[in-house]
Amino acid sequence: MFPTKRNSRRALGAMAVLAAVALTASACAGQDSAAAGGSSSEIHIGAWLPLTGATATYGVGEKAGADAYFKMVNAQGGVNGRKITWTVKDNAADPQQTVQIARELVGQDKVVAIVNANGTSQAEAAFPFVLNQSKVPVVNEVGGTESWYKPPRAGLFGTQTLYEDQAAAIAAWAVQDGAKKILVVHSDPAAFVNVAKQVEPVAKKLDPSVEVDRLPVKYQTTDYTPVISKVKAAKTQAVVLILTSPEAAAFLKEAKLQGLSLPTYAYAPVAAESTVALAKDAAEDLKAVQLVKAPSDDDPAVKEFRTAMATYEPGQDAGFLALWGWSNAKVFAEIAKTIKGPVTSKAITEAYGKASSVDPGVSPVMRFSASDHLGTRSVQRVVVKNGVWTSVGDFYTPPPRD
Amino acid sequence: MSQFLLVLVSGVASGAVYGLMGLGLVIIYRATDVVNFAMASLATLGLYVALSLHDRGVATVLGVLAAVVITVAAGLLVRETVIRPLGQGQLFSALVVTMGVSLVAENVAGSIWGDQPKAFPSLVDGTVRWSGAAVPAQSLLTIAVAAVAMALVGYLFARTTLGSAMRAAAESAETARVVGLSSQRLARISWALGLGLAALAACLYAPRSGLVPTALVAPLFRAFAGIFLGGLTSMYGAVLGGLTIGVLDNLAANYVSASFRDTFVFSFTVLVLLIRPQGMFGTRTFQRV
Repeated sequence: MFPTKRNSRRALGAMAVLAAVALTASACAGQDSAAAGGSSSEIHIGAWLPLTGATATYGVGEKAGADAYFKMVNAQGGVNGRKITWTVKDNAADPQQTVQIARELVGQDKVVAIVNANGTSQAEAAFPFVLNQSKVPVVNEVGGTESWYKPPRAGLFGTQTLYEDQAAAIAAWAVQDGAKKILVVHSDPAAFVNVAKQVEPVAKKLDPSVEVDRLPVKYQTTDYTPVISKVKAAKTQAVVLILTSPEAAAFLKEAKLQGLSLPTYAYAPVAAESTVALAKDAAEDLKAVQLVKAPSDDDPAVKEFRTAMATYEPGQDAGFLALWGWSNAKVFAEIAKTIKGPVTSKAITEAYGKASSVDPGVSPVMRFSASDHLGTRSVQRVVVKNGVWTSVGDFYTPPPRD
Repeated sequence: MSQFLLVLVSGVASGAVYGLMGLGLVIIYRATDVVNFAMASLATLGLYVALSLHDRGVATVLGVLAAVVITVAAGLLVRETVIRPLGQGQLFSALVVTMGVSLVAENVAGSIWGDQPKAFPSLVDGTVRWSGAAVPAQSLLTIAVAAVAMALVGYLFARTTLGSAMRAAAESAETARVVGLSSQRLARISWALGLGLAALAACLYAPRSGLVPTALVAPLFRAFAGIFLGGLTSMYGAVLGGLTIGVLDNLAANYVSASFRDTFVFSFTVLVLLIRPQGMFGTRTFQRV
């Protein structure tokens, strides 16, 4: 029988219907697989990072460190035989772009978790879709506030000691060094003010006779001449800096110029290579707390980081930011190793809830539980010696805050 | 007293930078009706080139010259390719275009040199001390260089044929054309001069602030405040406005609040503009309906 024109049309129509059904089925299958997650050959995870824009320094550094770790693990056979695929998209630190990226990562790329992303407000913008609607966990985000973990939220796990706890650790350090009068110099946006306010209660808890004052400074001030005049007039015994790295460098340079020599303490954002690069010898003896050990340490875990950076990310700076990314990647891989069976979103969430002791070596031991989704409150004390950040002692847990 | 002088000198040094940038803005605005938001970002490109040369062992002074040349070249390229085609009198279109160019230049700088803050070398090292206070020699040099640059610009406009031609073209491009002056050539010279001043200001400012792709956003913001305070059409106003902003900023930080220094300075600016909308030295313009 020869095909007629009508028959051909019918055949084409039937094929079109079949194709549509097949596409729909395939799409549904895709959704099922997204919900279930998990492939036998790979673990597909994602992140939003600021690779351009004002905070690109953080994103680029973090990405390099995490990339180095994942490449090293994959070269060694992966996690329980599964290769890690980490898809990173640039959100330029913009919450709106982050929401779009979250939809792409979860909806199109079918990632089973968001790992080592960056930004507090950016993540909060994406939480309703990622955490609540898609049930995809967000783990090891750089940033975060106390409200993320109290009460604990399903699928949200952190590895970064809160800024408030960093301030508590600095306060304790200054008091232990014998300071009776402390001046907290801080930028004036609320995010800095809230951290600065944590110094006084902890200092007074350790020594009720300690006096703590605060000196707010306009955000992004570059001329610190008037500020140093005020610090001198305050006749303080120690200074705590809750500033950005360039602001802290400007403070230190002007302090040195005006002959102000006081023990100076700072929180983790100041403990960066850029502070030393900008302040040069004025940064000598600056004390700060960090989330990780100093990248120059002789510690074997830090050496492994430096070797991997040289091998897998040559040309990238093996500094603190890269070490943050490395540490977060390592914590994820260590927890993923404990999963028996498919590595799904649900399995990752459950594994984090049971991860009672994960030691990344370069950062404090992470202790998660069903009721505590923040892995650590500890910090590493670091000091600038001969122009290089150097670790002092072991990880330190500050006194509890009220 | 020494503390007051210290804060004052530091404020004058900052104000000199704002004044130079403001002068560059006014020269370009008067000649071409363009408020050049890209000026700071283009100067930042020049700074990165200067720093790259310095890192390769080139003397800082030569690096500064290179920064000026690169900034001027980039500015002229921008003018010829995206501003000139807009035509004369497209104030708002040109404003938006320069904002776009500014973002592009920042991203280019970030892509090539990274976003990590970098130290920019001082032109001179050392400190001048008196009764317990200390001022970096770089700050005094900033004041001196800015004063000389401003004086030269004043001489150019007041005493030379080229300056007279530029003033004539700024008053009326049409009339200038009728008497045989090339308005495009004068516009290019104005852009080159304005951007050269901005690059010089950037080189004087960067040793204090460090260098990131957005390093000059804050001084540009204050330079704008300075030219509105001094009068958008007045070159003297731009200089004095910038100096006023710099000094008030520091005095406010020292005697009012380090946190509310901007609030104080901009409140003062608003107050002046309420009393004299054309700024301290600007001329009021009227349009026939």
